[in-house]
Amino acid sequence: MREQTSRGALWRGVQRWRGVVIIGVMAAITLWLAASGQLVLYIHPRYILFTVIMAIIAVVAAVAAVATPRRHDDEGLPLPARRSRAVGLAAAGLAAAFTLGMVVIPPATLSTATAEQREINATASDDAETFAAASAADAATVATFTVREWSTVLRQTSDLAFFDGKPATALLGFVTPDADDPESIFYISRFSVTCCAVDAQPLGVPVYLPGWAELYPPDTWVQVTGAFDSNPSRSSPTPIVLVPERVEAVDQPSEPYLF
Amino acid sequence: MPEATPTRVGAPEAHDHRHDHNDHDAAPVRRRARGVHVAWAVGATVVLIALVAARAVTAEQLDPSIPNPVQDLLTLSTSVIIESLPFIVLGIVLSVLVQVWIPESWLLRILPRNPWGRRAVISLFGMFLPVCECGNVPLARGLVRRGFTVPESMTFLIAAPILNPVTIITTHQAFGFDDGILIARLLGGFAIANILGWLFSKHPEPMSLLSGRFAEECRLDDGHGHGRDRRQQSLDLFVRESSILMPALVIGSLIAGAIQVIVPRDVLVALGSDPLYSVLAMMVLAFIISVCSNVDAFFILPFASTFLPGSIVTFLVFGPIVDIKSSCARPTRPARSCSSRRSSRC
Repeated sequence: MREQTSRGALWRGVQRWRGVVIIGVMAAITLWLAASGQLVLYIHPRYILFTVIMAIIAVVAAVAAVATPRRHDDEGLPLPARRSRAVGLAAAGLAAAFTLGMVVIPPATLSTATAEQREINATASDDAETFAAASAADAATVATFTVREWSTVLRQTSDLAFFDGKPATALLGFVTPDADDPESIFYISRFSVTCCAVDAQPLGVPVYLPGWAELYPPDTWVQVTGAFDSNPSRSSPTPIVLVPERVEAVDQPSEPYLF
Repeated sequence: MPEATPTRVGAPEAHDHRHDHNDHDAAPVRRRARGVHVAWAVGATVVLIALVAARAVTAEQLDPSIPNPVQDLLTLSTSVIIESLPFIVLGIVLSVLVQVWIPESWLLRILPRNPWGRRAVISLFGMFLPVCECGNVPLARGLVRRGFTVPESMTFLIAAPILNPVTIITTHQAFGFDDGILIARLLGGFAIANILGWLFSKHPEPMSLLSGRFAEECRLDDGHGHGRDRRQQSLDLFVRESSILMPALVIGSLIAGAIQVIVPRDVLVALGSDPLYSVLAMMVLAFIISVCSNVDAFFILPFASTFLPGSIVTFLVFGPIVDIKSSCARPTRPARSCSSRRSSRC
């Protein structure tokens, strides 16, 4: 009988406090992510202010809720069946484990696993516009092109004359193997994020560099400078690739996604 | 100085004259109780600061070398949570406002008597309460406690994520007026919310449609909350709503993240050009992706080139109704009520 009451107390305690604890800890971690500039690993920068304000409200409310006198009106209610108590405890345990993971596991950007699963350059949202802008761009602008602009251009044209005098300068991205010719072609890739990492679309520019994997394993961040040329690879259908003059491994940038 | 520490809040409150049993105790006891609460507040703050410090240390020191797919699963799930968290907080805050701070008569007075008219007005509540599907569950619960019928709250629950200013602005930013996608979304959301509300109102005992937990939470407040000032009632609601929503959010985000990592997206995209399959695929995608209605227009924009406009509208209208992360916290039992009616409509 005594054991029965203590189980009931455990269940009620978990039931009452799990939400406050989880929301308080998650909001505090969110604030830390914002302070250390890592919130952009998860959401688009335009949501940062809103997220921070709401996280502050959540932290204040969670602390105030812990400090406020308890109400005892739920103690008279009968306990639910054992199985539904177990389900409730399991859900709370899983949520608590995940929350602990948010405290312990270092924040990370999405990796090649997602880039491969989502298929690089699968989507074409504002192609025509970007391409028109790219065609009219002068040399200084071309030098600032990111993976987004180049991947758009490559989707729109395979005319080599277009790339004449338009080299890629210090193009930044991470290394993802090409599906057709993983020996000699890799994609220098970035994720494009419109709202949060869930909708991240991988964009990439194919780079021809036989034996690249030994120098730059997948997920390495690199900067590539070079010119576009027709693809020498026989096993890959991609018409135009970037032939690098210089490749250097660099640190992951603080904003790994393109917004 | 017992006068200096009266009941815990200075502002005159409607319920202040009703005393909680603690108030019969002498002032020193009250003061000591207050000391305990200050200690709790300090303790909670210290724990949070310690956790943030631990976070800062582990970010520097720990290199867990987690395999890529697992790491991406965590990143994706965390991303869903961080993106939804502010909207959930907003939803709880609005719910507290509606339940504790806004006089009951305000909401009930502006409603027509005729049930269709009532539901039509209720489905426009979202224009003033801009919550997406993460935030509207606590708000809908607040409406039930405020004396709204279950069908009326369901109407609100379905309409609010679509018929609200934030969603309208983001959808317009994404699509403009192309292909009538924006108009179709608004009209579709309004029609489905009202038709579902009407179907629910046909049920002889609408309260029985609620899932046990939701009904219990709705009933909990009846006759309770007296002797608590408004600040305490607000915090009670915060505790209760977060206790229901947060575990559901975590589990929903994990499921959404897992499906993202496991199911190849090109499988879904391949279906995009078929009139029937594109609609079905978009329904599945809406269920899987579960992005907030406030931002889902941006998410689906890249698919607009491969998918037919009708299926895009399906995603935009259907998505908020079946959102996976809040469906864990949904008010109705999925097997009996909501989904069976939904499928009978299809």
